[in-house]
Amino acid sequence: MTGHPALALRGIEKSFGGAQALAGASLVVERGTVHGLVGQNGAGKSTLIKVLAGIHAPDAGSIEIDGKNEAHLSPHHVETLGIHMIHQDRLLPPTLTVAEALLLGNEPRFARTPFINRRQLERQAAEALWNAFQVALPVRALIRDLATAEQQIVQITRALVNKPKILVLDEPTAALVHREAEMLFETIERLKSDGLTVLYISHYLSEIERLCDQVTVLRNGRDVARVSPKTTSTAEIVSLMIDRDVDSCFPARPPRRGEPLIQTDGLGNSPYFSDVTFTLRKGEIVGVTGLVGSGAKALAGTLFGLSKADAGTVLLKGRPLAAPTPAAAVARRIGLVPEDRRRHGISLDLSVRENATLPALPDFTRRGLIRAAREKNAVAGLVARLGIKTSGPEALLRTLSGGNQQKVVLSKWLIHQSELIILDEPTVGVDVGAKVDIYREISRLADEGAGVLMISSDLLELTGLADRVLVFHRGRLVADLHTAGLDQDMLLALITTGAAPKESNAPKEHHALAV
Amino acid sequence: MPSPSDRGNAARLLRSGAYGAFAIVFLWFAIVAPGFLRFGNLTDVVQQSAILGLLALGMTLVMIAGGGNVISGGIDLSLAANLGLTAAIYARLAQDGANGLTAIAAALGAGLLVGAVNAVAVVRLRIVPLLATLAVSKIVNGLEFVLTKNSVVTATSPIQDWLSGSGLFGIPEMACGLVLIAVLVWLVVHATSLGLRLHAVGAHPEAARAAGLSVPAMVAGSYVASGLLGSLAGIFSAALVSGSSPGSGNYLLPVVVAAFLGVTFSRRQVPTIGGTILAVLFIGLLANGFQLVNISTDWIDGVEGVLILFLVGWTTLSQKESLDA
Repeated sequence: MTGHPALALRGIEKSFGGAQALAGASLVVERGTVHGLVGQNGAGKSTLIKVLAGIHAPDAGSIEIDGKNEAHLSPHHVETLGIHMIHQDRLLPPTLTVAEALLLGNEPRFARTPFINRRQLERQAAEALWNAFQVALPVRALIRDLATAEQQIVQITRALVNKPKILVLDEPTAALVHREAEMLFETIERLKSDGLTVLYISHYLSEIERLCDQVTVLRNGRDVARVSPKTTSTAEIVSLMIDRDVDSCFPARPPRRGEPLIQTDGLGNSPYFSDVTFTLRKGEIVGVTGLVGSGAKALAGTLFGLSKADAGTVLLKGRPLAAPTPAAAVARRIGLVPEDRRRHGISLDLSVRENATLPALPDFTRRGLIRAAREKNAVAGLVARLGIKTSGPEALLRTLSGGNQQKVVLSKWLIHQSELIILDEPTVGVDVGAKVDIYREISRLADEGAGVLMISSDLLELTGLADRVLVFHRGRLVADLHTAGLDQDMLLALITTGAAPKESNAPKEHHALAV
Repeated sequence: MPSPSDRGNAARLLRSGAYGAFAIVFLWFAIVAPGFLRFGNLTDVVQQSAILGLLALGMTLVMIAGGGNVISGGIDLSLAANLGLTAAIYARLAQDGANGLTAIAAALGAGLLVGAVNAVAVVRLRIVPLLATLAVSKIVNGLEFVLTKNSVVTATSPIQDWLSGSGLFGIPEMACGLVLIAVLVWLVVHATSLGLRLHAVGAHPEAARAAGLSVPAMVAGSYVASGLLGSLAGIFSAALVSGSSPGSGNYLLPVVVAAFLGVTFSRRQVPTIGGTILAVLFIGLLANGFQLVNISTDWIDGVEGVLILFLVGWTTLSQKESLDA
C-alpha cells in the first residue's frame, strides 16, 4: 500500500458560458476512508462530481487517481479505473426485471452458448441484494413497479456487484426510509473495512457525521474547509457552508399584511406531500423550500393545476379553487414562473413581444385580431420597467441572456395582471445583475398588492426577500417562519433534518411559528 | 405521475383486454363464419399472415432497440417498400432466367443494404427514425419503380413453387417458414444476452451506456436485421403472387398496427416477439373472418386506423413527467 491518496482533484476550474461553477476547487480523498462532500445548492458539488465522472472537462486543474495523473477522463475510462458512481437520477431500465437490471452486461450464460441461464441470473441477483442490504426483493419484478427506495437499493447493489475501488454516492438516502438508510450505512462501513474508498455527497449532515472520516466543504466553487466531522460540530459545518460576505442588495420592504389571498387546508397530493395548511396574504412574499423530493416543488405545480390535489381544499380570495388545470389557474389570475424556463416558460423562437403577451392576448384582441399598437406600447413599457436587455421587442428570445429571458417570463404575468405569482427557483442560472433586477421586481409586485409564492433553495433569497418561509421535509410542512431575524443556519438545519438543530438553544422569539 | 400500482393495474387491464378481444373475435367467427375452424382454413390464416409477420418481426426489433417513445423511438417505415423492392429484384432475376438461389441472395443483399442505409441515417446522421425511414422508403420505392416500370413482373421458379406449396400434413410451407423464423428471432431476443441488452438499450439508453453497452451499435444492428426480415418478406411475396406487383405500400399501416398491438399482449407492455406474432394472427383472423362472412375487407383499414389511434394515445398518456424533481 502506497501513500498516494485514492483520489486527488486540485485547483479545478470550470465555467459555463461566463458563469463560473468551480473556481479552483480541490478534493483529496484518502484510500480506505469515507469522505463527505457538502455545500449549498450552487456551491459546485455536482459540477465537481461531473468532472470526476468524465462528463465535464475542467478548464484548469489536475486530477490524480491512485497517484496517476489523469488528463483526459471519459465516463468509460473512469469505470475502468474502478470508480463507480451512483447518481441521483436512477439509471435503471424501467422494463427490465430486478435480476436483469442488476446483472446487465454480466449475465450468467449456459456454458459455451449465448443463452442466459435465468435461474443462475436470479440466484446471483438475490444473493447480491442479500449481501448488500439483507433484503429479499422480488428479483422478477419490473424496475418500474418498484418503490423509489427499492430502485435505489438495486442501483447501489449494481455498483457493488462491479467490485469498485472507489464508490461515489450522490445523495443516496434521499429516497430511502430510515431502516433502509441504516442498512446502507452498515454496508458502507463493512465495505470500508474491506478497503473500499467512498466519496459521500449528502445534504443530511447527520449522515456525514455518522459515516465520514473527513468532509470537504464547498462554497462558491471553492473548497473552504477540510475537517473531520468527529471533531467539528454539525453547526460549525453549516456555518462553513453559508456565505456571509455576499448579503446582496435585497430591497427593504415594510411588512405588509393584506387580506388572505390563498388559504389551503389539509392540502395533499400523494405521493408528493400531505396535510399542508397555510395562508398567503395580499402583498406578501412567501418562500417555500425543502430538499429535492420534499414536496416544495410539487406544491407549486398543484396550485397552478399541473396536477390534481387528492386531499384538502384551496381558497383563492375566499372562493374554492376547484378546476385544477393551468388554464383555470390563469383565468383566476395565477401565474407560474417555472424553473426550467426553456422547457416550460418561454418559446425561444418567438419574440420578446410575443412571449410577453401570450397569456394576456385576449386583452389585446378585438374580434380575433391583435391590436398591434396597444400590444407594442405595453411591451415597450415592460422592457423599460424590468430593464430587459434586448435589441428590441421583436428580438427572438434565444438571442437574450438567461437572466433577461427570465425577466420576460416575469413580464408575461405582469401584463396579465396576475394576483398570485408562483416563482419556481426564480434566479437559477441567472447572473448577479439580472438577479438584483428580478428581486426588485418581485418586491414591487408584492408592494402593488400581488401575492408571491417563491419556491427556492437559495437561503439568501429566502431570508432576504421573503416575508415568511414554509419549510418542507419528506412531504410534510414542518415549519412556517417569519424571516425577520431568522438565521440561515437554523433554516438550513430545518431543511436538511426537518427539525431545529439540537446544538442551538431554544428558538428565539422571532423564530416562533407564524400563525 | 401514475404510481407503480396504478400503472400495473392499467397494464393488466389493457393486456386482459387484448387477450379478451382475441378470444371474442375467434369465438364469434367460429360460430358465424362457415368453415372458419377447419384446420385447412386456420393454416391458411397463418400462411396469409406470413408476409405481414416477417415485416412485423423487423419492426419489433427496431422498436425494442429504439425505445417506446412514439415520436423519437425506433420505427422502420421502409419495411413495406423494402418488400416491394426485394420482390421486384427477385422477380426480375427469375424472369431473366437466373438461378433461384442467386435471385434470393440478391434480394437478401438488397434488404441488408436498405437496413444499413436506415442505420446510418438514424445512428450517424441522427435523423429521427420516423423521418429517416420514411425518406429511405421513398428512395426504395423509386428503385422498385425503375426496375418494374410500375407494372406486374411475372416470374416462376422451382423455389417459388416449393415455397407457395404445402408440405407435411398439408401445412403451407410459408406458415412453417413464419413459425421457424419467429422461433429463431424469439430465441435471440428473449433468451440470449444480446436480446436482453437490445431491450436495455431501448428502455434506458443512458443506463445501457453506463453498463458498458454500445448503444449505437445495437440500434444500428436492429435496423440491419429489420432490413433482412423485410427482404425475406419480399421473397415470400414473390412466391405467393408469382412475381412482383406494385402496391407494397399497403403493408405500411398493418405493420405499424401489428407492432403496437403486440405491445398490449406482453406482460411488461413492451414490444415482444410473442406479442407481435399474436397481433399479426389477430389481424389475419379478422381479415379471414370478414372474407368468410362476406364483409368487405376494406373495413380492416378502418379497424387498423382506430387501433393505431387508441394504442398510440394510450402509450403517450402513460408517459408522464414527475411533478417534484
